[in-house]
Amino acid sequence: MKLPQHRYGRRLSYNDIIYNFFATIAGLTIFNFEFIKQAFKPPYEIAEIKRHMDELGVKTFGIVSITGFIIGLVLTMQSQPVMQRFGATDFLPAMVSLSVVRELAPVITALIFAGRVSSGIGAELGSMRVTEQIDAMEVSAINPFNYLVVTRVIATTMILPILTLYVIIIAILGAFLAIAITEPMSFQYYQASVVNSIEFGDFIPSIAKTFVFGFIVGIVGCYKGYTAEGGTEGVGRASTTSVVLASLLILIFDMVLVKISLWLWPTLS
Amino acid sequence: MADTQLIEIETLTKRFEDHVVLDNVSLDVERGENLVVFGRSGEGKSVLLKCIIGLLKPETGRVLIHGQNILELSVSRLNTVRKNIGFLFQGAALYDSMTVRENLSFPLKRHFPEMIQNDVDNKVRYTLDLVSLEEAIDKMPSELSGGMKKRIGLARSIITDPELMLYDEPTTGLDPITTKEISELILSLQKKLSMTSIAVTHDVMCAEIIADRAIFLKDAKVAYEGSIPELTASKDPFLKNFFSHEIINA
Repeated sequence: MKLPQHRYGRRLSYNDIIYNFFATIAGLTIFNFEFIKQAFKPPYEIAEIKRHMDELGVKTFGIVSITGFIIGLVLTMQSQPVMQRFGATDFLPAMVSLSVVRELAPVITALIFAGRVSSGIGAELGSMRVTEQIDAMEVSAINPFNYLVVTRVIATTMILPILTLYVIIIAILGAFLAIAITEPMSFQYYQASVVNSIEFGDFIPSIAKTFVFGFIVGIVGCYKGYTAEGGTEGVGRASTTSVVLASLLILIFDMVLVKISLWLWPTLS
Repeated sequence: MADTQLIEIETLTKRFEDHVVLDNVSLDVERGENLVVFGRSGEGKSVLLKCIIGLLKPETGRVLIHGQNILELSVSRLNTVRKNIGFLFQGAALYDSMTVRENLSFPLKRHFPEMIQNDVDNKVRYTLDLVSLEEAIDKMPSELSGGMKKRIGLARSIITDPELMLYDEPTTGLDPITTKEISELILSLQKKLSMTSIAVTHDVMCAEIIADRAIFLKDAKVAYEGSIPELTASKDPFLKNFFSHEIINA
């Protein structure tokens, strides 16, 4: 796998910035093809994938719990006065749950995940690259791409949908708390409204896109870390640019995937 | 290629953009021989080692190991060759998310998947005993001193019983006493395990202990060749200057 080199330095010209932009796109594309090629090659590092899934799940569990709860709570607090003005308070559970399931939970969980995990992977692999640990694996006849990249990307792709489902539940509970403070609504009524308003079809595109977001988080973090150069400065750069690039790609792909899902499931619109 | 030769390097040229680091370098290493590669910083010593192991691809030339040109091998065949080569990195390159035990058992488990856990443990303990660091078995790399890291790195390189060892600055950054200890350890392991070795260094003390023969890289070429006493006794002004400074530093 031959990846394009980036240009680094204290003063980059516009040409260098444009060159780096296209080098990143080309590099990431080549890296993706390499992932597809290597993912089906033995040895299959199942134990390593499980270990990463455990680690990533534990790492992000706390922060996504808090974020999910606050999303539900704040969304309800913001929407309640508007709904009250139109006399539509009864539709509040449906509105909140649909917003959470279709858009907020997948995107916000993915962004939090990118901030926590993509930077971590970028820094970890970047530091392994600059301290020659990746070279050490290669000269020991161990495939570093398979062991370091494939395992992490599969783990992030598998764990993000699980985290998103969890965030959906937490956000809906948070929303109930906000309603219960001001409205005399029982949990049974709230639960029934939520269940009646969400269809199974709402979950399919929303969870399907989290697989894509999880893949983006993993592949971007691995790409930036694996190709890091220039000592500790390079490690820092790999960590920071991983988050920026992963977040940007999540939002771009969200836009594309929403359009595709509306085309595939016209009933959603 | 003669039967006694393990490595034959022919007209190797490596450049980074416009800078030629190795220019038509040719070199033979016999089985069981310990070769030291001298040179000033930035003269391409580490690049030479990385070309030998296939980490860097030269522009021209051939690197024959057991008669096979490693530059033309597929990844899987190159890996078969690499299984017989140990490489000690300048900074030891220990996997910092693994304990010493895991660092050593990692290549072992991958190269010999049929090995049972008990045998892996015994081999790890035996190898750590060779480098006199059995007590560090459950430590993390961050808990080790520079000298200990080198020893563990050495242990990890020899755990698969390679027939060729490549050392990239094995004593850089160590105090003279630890330098002597590491050099003597390298020599004793080479004798005990009958290995061939190439060591890149600018440490004369280390070279005096481990080398059978030395070459000196200068201006991207092999400029001088001979035994350590021959090189240190040379009347050549450049060598005289180099070794006088090195001996003072040592």
